[in-house]
Parts: sequence; C-alpha cells; structure tokens
Amino acid sequence: MSHGYQFVGWNRQKKLYDLTLLGAVLSYLLLFIVGSIVLHPDAVIDMIILRALGTCAFVLLHVILAIGPLARLDRRWLPLLYNRRHMGVTMFTLALLHGLLSLLTYHGFGDTHPLVSLFTSNTRYDSLSQFPFQPLGFFALILLFLMAATSHDFWLATLTPPIWKTLHMGVYVAYGLLLGHVGFGFLQTETHPALFGLLAAGCLTLLALHLAAAGKETKLDTQDGFQQDGEGYLKLCEVLEIPNNRGRMFFVGGDRIAVFRYDGRVSAISNACQHQNGPLGEGRVIDGLVTCPWHGFQYDPATGASPPPFTEKVPTFNLKVLNGSVWVHPNPNPPGTYVNPGLVEEPGHA
Amino acid sequence: MRKHEEDFYIGYLSSAPKGLASVTRLRILILIAFALIAGGAITALQSKFWPGVFEFGTYRDFEGMILERPYPTLLVKRPEAGDHFPYSRYLLVNPFKFGADETVQGLNGQTVSLKGQLVFQDGKTMIEVAPESVKPLGNSAEPVSLPSSEWGRHTLRGEIVDSKCYLGAMNPGNLKTHKACAVRCISGGIPPVFLVRQKEGAALYFLMVDEEGNQVNEACLPFVAEPLEITGNVRQEGGMLILYANPETYIRL
Ligand code: HEM
Ligand code: FES
Repeated sequence: MSHGYQFVGWNRQKKLYDLTLLGAVLSYLLLFIVGSIVLHPDAVIDMIILRALGTCAFVLLHVILAIGPLARLDRRWLPLLYNRRHMGVTMFTLALLHGLLSLLTYHGFGDTHPLVSLFTSNTRYDSLSQFPFQPLGFFALILLFLMAATSHDFWLATLTPPIWKTLHMGVYVAYGLLLGHVGFGFLQTETHPALFGLLAAGCLTLLALHLAAAGKETKLDTQDGFQQDGEGYLKLCEVLEIPNNRGRMFFVGGDRIAVFRYDGRVSAISNACQHQNGPLGEGRVIDGLVTCPWHGFQYDPATGASPPPFTEKVPTFNLKVLNGSVWVHPNPNPPGTYVNPGLVEEPGHA
Repeated sequence: MRKHEEDFYIGYLSSAPKGLASVTRLRILILIAFALIAGGAITALQSKFWPGVFEFGTYRDFEGMILERPYPTLLVKRPEAGDHFPYSRYLLVNPFKFGADETVQGLNGQTVSLKGQLVFQDGKTMIEVAPESVKPLGNSAEPVSLPSSEWGRHTLRGEIVDSKCYLGAMNPGNLKTHKACAVRCISGGIPPVFLVRQKEGAALYFLMVDEEGNQVNEACLPFVAEPLEITGNVRQEGGMLILYANPETYIRL
C-alpha cells in the first residue's frame, strides 16, 4: 500500500489522462490553424501558429486555475486535480513555443538582439493604449518556467513545502501579467467586442469559483461556541455523526482539525496534508491509514505519521470519548506524537 | 452513503471507481468542449488581415534604373504603359528586416539587373532583392525625369507602418501588436510609410521624408504604430505619394 513520489509508476489512469490532454491540445491547435486558414486566407501562417499556441496556453491556464476551487466545491473534480502538474507543464510548453515564435517573428532577423528589442522596441510605459505588452508575457513566461521546472515532488521535498507553495502561488501573478499581455496587446489590435467578452467571461468565472470555494471554507472557519470542560477539551460532535472510515473537519483555536472514526476508534489530527495542504478531513481511512483526497499521501490516525519509509508527519490532538461525544483538546501536539484513540461505545466494537 | 464511499479516488491505483469514472469522463468532455468553443470563437473573430502578398520563394528577374534617394527604388521601363511615365516604380529592400541602402550605394542613375521576390498589395509593389544579385549594366542612356505634381500642404491622420510588412511580409502587419516588428524593420532601413485610411475608397500610402527630402527612419521610431496627425507638403513623384514633414511636428492623437 505504501507509495511515494519515487515509486509511482506510469499507470493506466495517468496514461489516459495524458492522452486525453494531448488529444485536446492537438484538437485545439488543429481547429485554430485550419479554421484560420479557411476563414482568413490572407493571414500569414506564422501569425496563425503563434496565435494558436498563445491562446491554447491561455485557455489551458484557465482550466488549470478553475480545477482547484472546483475540487474544493465538489470532490468529484479531484481526479483532474490529481495530475494537474501535467497540465501545467503542457501549458508552459505551449506558452514557451508561443514566446519563442513571437520573439523570432517580431524581434528576430533585425539590427538588434531579440531580447534587447523585446524591451526597447516599445517604451511607452506612460500610455495605456500603447503600453508595452510583450515584456508582460516575458515575465509571465519566466514565472511559468520556474513553476514547471519545480513541479515535481522532488522539488517540493527539496525546497520545503512553505517555499514551494509560495513559489506556486506565483501562478496568480503570472495570470495577472497575462491579462495585461492580452488586454494591452491582442485586444488593442483585434477589437471585436466579443473577444473582450470572452476574456471577461474567463476572468470572472475564475473569480467567482475562487470566491465560492473561499466562502465554503469561511463557513467552516467560523464554527464557534463549542462546549468546553475543566481541562480545556471542546465537545466537537457525537461519535455517530462521523461516518465509519471517514473524517469531519472542525475549525478550533485557529487550526483546522480532522476527526476520524475507524475500526471502533476515534482520532484527531491536523487537517492540512504535508504534501500540498490537501484537506485530510475529506479523505478516507484506507487499510487503517488516513488517505489524503488530493494525491493519496497517508497518515496513521493515532500518530499523525506516514508509514515507513515515508517521513511526513502532521500534528495530533488529544481526544476523549465521553457518553458518545467526541472531546478534543485544541492545543496541537508536535507532529508525529502518539495519542490514545478514543473508543467508540457501540455494539460490536466495544 | 455506500455509493459515495466507493467513489473515493486514489490516483495511484490503476483504475478509478466506475461511478466516478463516468462522471469524470463527462466533465472532461465538457471542459474540452468549452476550450474548443473558445478557440473556435477566437479563430472566427480575428479580423485585421489584409490582402497582402509576399511571393516567398519565387525569384523574378528585373532590369531597370536605380534611384538611391529618398529610398532605394528601381524604375523598370514599361513601353506599353503610355507616354506620360512609362515606368513601374518599385521600392527595394533587403531580406529580413533590412533596407537596401547599402545594396544600391553608388548606383544612382545606373541601369542594373537584379533578382528578387515581390511583395505587393493594392497595386503597390516592392522587391526584396536577392543577396549579391545586383549587376550594374552601365549608365542609363537617357536620364529619366520623374513627373511630379504638388498636392499642397495637408494634415493627415494615420499610422506609421513599415512598408515591407504592411505590404505583405506579415499579416496583420500594422497596429499595436505589430509595433515591435515595425520598429525593427524601420530601424533596419525599411522605408517608413504613413498609412491613411479614408472613410471610403482605398487607403493612401505616403512615403515619409523630412522637409528636405531625407530619410526619417531614426526620427520616426518613437511614433511607429501609434495614431498620429502629421502636417506636411504632399507631392506625387513618379506614381508615388511622398509626405514631406518634420518628425518633430508629428502629433500623437
Ligand atoms: C517571451 C514571452 C512572450 C512574447 C514575446 C509574446 C509575444 C506576443 C505577441 C507579439 C502577441 C501578439 C500577436 C498578435 O499580433 O496577435 C502575443 C499575443 C498573445 N500571447 Fe504572448 N508572448 C509571450 C508570452 C506569452 C505567454 C507566457 C502566454 C501565456 C499563455 C501568452 C499568451 C498570449 C495570448 C493568449 C495572446 C493573444 C493571442 C495572440 O495574438 O497570439 N504569451 N504574444
Ligand atoms: S495534498 Fe497531495 S497528497 Fe495531500
């Protein structure tokens, strides 16, 4: 059952995922290129190809950014989240080809080095309508490169999760830069209002999804008023409110706590997966181990530690079961600390 | 509940639970459909293409007289074109983003043969001269005088484009997204042209020079691809409109 980034092979699901992704990208490019040749016979082919690549990357970026909040709103999007890294790398590759072709077409073959020309051919930073849009694309490409290059779990482990996560939040900065790249570039030349509408629709959809997902989490975060006993334990819920082999999430003392019922026992650990902050409380207990819904990292519910050879550990919380109610102490124990599970007093398990 | 239980997805197992698999398949199809619709819409909504032609790979032979100023030009005799001005007038440029100033240096007034590829649009034609193909054939027997007519002082609104891309080497070869390329071309010596769209009828193209008739490649660079108003003297010389204006008086709109 144990697994880790070193060992995950190229299984059928991953192959299917990659084939679907590749098929979709190729269909898009083909549609765009053939469509443009047919509808606009005067267009020059380099222009068509670089537009096909740029727009394909940008549309894919929207999909990538939508999947995070979609998965938080409805867990059945999780299969798409699982291999999102492949989408990211594919998107970067498309963007890179678009950038290189643009650099060559617009800045190459002239009297100045293309990378110098990129920054000197337009210096109207003082004007909105003439604002230089190509450097914005360049900086977005650099960010996307850093993320694609460090997307493997090897880098997550090497850079440590906090640094890695900060770096990968850069995708939102890149998205912002690209809104400028497209808004100050393509949309200043191609001025059909429907193109503007399309961009606005994409941007607003992402905004709405992120707000909805955040709203759902705030609701959890504002849970309050748990009954407290003399030792500081809080009464979180009844044991039987937690389905067998599943968890429930609570927001207590500034922390998210996931409480699991399994094997006639109850344990509480921190909700944040050590991998990429996946919500452990939405996971399942499989073979006695809490399994993260995002990428399947596993933790022993009593110790918060991943089974050997893995070394990930999450904090645990002291817990007791009294008269069928779960009481949890809100102060976290150091990650990996063993806590006696509470026993479920129900027929067949006691 | 039990059904939901089975729907837990574990990515490293080789197949997903059945119910989840079909939901996922449907969602993926919807996502792909969205992407393709967006792509199709963008494809259809592009509109700024012009009927320009670059005869890439087709080399033709030309024979005619070189004019060095204001921009390298070839006058090719067309006896069939009538007595008034029996010549075709071609702007000459080098391959890529370079003008032909050095290629024709010292050949003013001489008859030459050369090979080149045509770039044309709207009856305006340019030759991209093949490297090393210019062969001097001696001085022209009869000096050609270009018929010219004064059109007077005009204030025009338009956009500076590089003549090569606009005529057909790129498409779209103007407006904001093309600015960087036009700057490279004009900086490399390609003749700058002031493009004026009229409410009705064909667009007008003015070869740009300063008040003394000198090239303005360097001076016009900051203004390329922006909406401008230029006031100057217009003259038609040998079938080509030329705008004489001091670059310091160009006005951004
Ligand atoms: C070195 C980096 C980049 C350069 C030099 C560059 C250059 C350009 C240029 C010149 C255009 C206008 C083309 C036209 O006339 O239609 C353009 C458009 C566009 N770019 Fe970029 N770009 C870069 C990076 C990116 C990146 C990273 C993306 C990410 C997805 C991107 C997405 C787009 C899109 C969606 C368009 C509008 C469609 C199009 O015109 O191609 N670009 N870019
Ligand atoms: S977040 Fe990736 S496994 Fe938990």
